Amino acid sequence: MSSIVLQDIRKSYKSGPEVLHGVSMDIEPGEFIVIVGPSGCGKSTLLRLIAGLEHCSSGTISIDGKTANDLPPQDRDIAMIFQNYALYPHMTVRENIAFGLELRGMRKAERNARAESVAETLQLTPYLDRKPGALSGGQRQRVAMGRAMARNASTFLMDEPLSNLDNALRVAMRTEIKELHRQLGATMIYVTHDQTEALSLADRIAVMKDGHLLQFARPETIYDRPQNRFVASFLGMPAMNFAPAGKLPGLEAAGDAMVGLRPEILSVQEQRPNGPAVNARLLFSEMTGSDTILHCDTPAGRMTVTATRRAIPEGKKELWIGYDAKDALFFAADSGARIEPSLQD
Amino acid sequence: MKPDNPLVTGLALVAGLIFLSPALYSIWMSFQAADAFYAGKLKFTLDNYALAIGQYHFARYLLNSIIVSGLVTVIGITLSTMAAYAFARYEFPGGNFLFGAVIATLMIPSHISLIPNYLTLAKVDLLDTYAGLILPAISNGFAAFFLRQYIRGIPRALDEAAYMDGARPWQVLWRVIVPIAKPAILSMGLYVFITEWNNYIWPLVAVGKEDLYTLQIGLARLYRLNPGEGGIDWPLVMAASTITILPVLIGFVLIERHLVRGITMGAVK
Ligand SMILES: Nc1ncnc2c1ncn2[C@@H]1O[C@H](COP(=O)(O)OP(=O)(O)OP(=O)(O)O)[C@@H](O)[C@H]1O
Ligand SMILES: [Mg+2]
Repeated sequence: MSSIVLQDIRKSYKSGPEVLHGVSMDIEPGEFIVIVGPSGCGKSTLLRLIAGLEHCSSGTISIDGKTANDLPPQDRDIAMIFQNYALYPHMTVRENIAFGLELRGMRKAERNARAESVAETLQLTPYLDRKPGALSGGQRQRVAMGRAMARNASTFLMDEPLSNLDNALRVAMRTEIKELHRQLGATMIYVTHDQTEALSLADRIAVMKDGHLLQFARPETIYDRPQNRFVASFLGMPAMNFAPAGKLPGLEAAGDAMVGLRPEILSVQEQRPNGPAVNARLLFSEMTGSDTILHCDTPAGRMTVTATRRAIPEGKKELWIGYDAKDALFFAADSGARIEPSLQD
Repeated sequence: MKPDNPLVTGLALVAGLIFLSPALYSIWMSFQAADAFYAGKLKFTLDNYALAIGQYHFARYLLNSIIVSGLVTVIGITLSTMAAYAFARYEFPGGNFLFGAVIATLMIPSHISLIPNYLTLAKVDLLDTYAGLILPAISNGFAAFFLRQYIRGIPRALDEAAYMDGARPWQVLWRVIVPIAKPAILSMGLYVFITEWNNYIWPLVAVGKEDLYTLQIGLARLYRLNPGEGGIDWPLVMAASTITILPVLIGFVLIERHLVRGITMGAVK
């Protein structure tokens, strides 16, 4: 396990504008960090900088307290899963997984045994003697994972390692990654677009946008106290509802702030509830399993509500949406930063 | 793949036979006894081969050709591959200029360097040696250029994956790049081998000792020795020619199946 400290990292590629605008992070040894953010915000670039595959334009990267800006990737003891897999096309699955071990001088019998046990975990055993060209996308992705997992590296960088797997496999692999982290105690930096992965795996989540690190905190903090409107809307399924405070009874005192209400803290009722509420017209609903997501039109704008399926009778369109003022989040209308206005005036 | 169209197959066969006919005819003639042949009769014999190998030392020439062409190919392709990798993957000061210089060497006709090469080798006392036959041919700008283009087509992500796996640059080259570029390297190797095999001018000027003659020199000398009663002994010349072309044919058949397709399939998304 390694500690990794990024200080004011900036990066511009040779031909093009700056893509990282001063990112600082302080990663503890053994921590599981998940990086999320929209496509093109610089997540892969950040991983490549940590891996040593790119040089940063300014700033410092330290690994275990030592400046590593000029340390070549081979000497960083980092295993990486590439977003595009980067499998060796001329090697079988077994050889792909064992290559890193071979380079470290492990004996053939030993490294093959290791590769086979990793393949077992990843459900790749039937494909050990195939070459990547004869594998499906999801199988290739698991080989890419196996190649990293076989190594006993002190840091793992994983760039969307589960993006191409079916749901069951993804859940199984998520558990494997968690288990790997527990066993090795290695530092892990993990990029994903999947909220569930982010929230369930991370010790801390880094939310990025347009080359900036917006917030870097524990999942609960990110979820409950997002620093700004972007972070608030980026995490949570379905996304947070936003409405002007002036249009929400009981919250008018917040002035011109925007109010954020997560769909799951809202309650739908057939009758007007006692607390603050807005009347709503049900537009359509989506079944998600045990729950249903109601899309409603209200005087404060469109709102989505998560409710249990039996919460409202079939065919009923005119509803009330109730909320608790203490669950609401407030964001400055102009900057989008989260604010805590006083509601008692 | 579509099922073969019999018409196309037939035409290809005929075309193949037309191209092959001179070689087939000379091989056939090499097994004829000379006197019977000139008398218009058929008499199969191995005497021509015995004569070429025994009296005219073609076994020795064959060995020389294999040594010279083999070493030129192995050393030349090794150097070219390393140069190609450097040009394809590294940016270094003067790199573009250097690559331009490599390209420029392709535009110099080989005959122009004949005399300078001769004088240089004479000065370092390497005329009449294997080294003298081999050294001038091992720097091959065309091979370096061709292989660089091929390596540039290999996703750089594979180099990066190997670095992450702990490989040093030379391990990336030999364990990742070379195996993937194998079809290109083998094609280039075959080309270099055949070119050197057929090289006539340089061995002619660089070597005077018969012990170092290559097949091409030996073959040319067969005419000058004018062995037959009534002029050139064609069946003997054809036996010598067959000895000259056979190794190349065998070599081609052996590596042909590696030449066809590339193998970057499945490497990256
Ligand atoms: N080699 C490169 N040269 C120039 N620009 C690049 C290069 N690689 C990436 N970029 C640019 O840098 C920015 C960040 O790219 P990056 O790959 O880090 O995004 P990402 O967050 O990983 O996106 P995704 O979620 O789609 O994988 C993008 O605008 C991209 O166009
Ligand atoms: Mg990416």
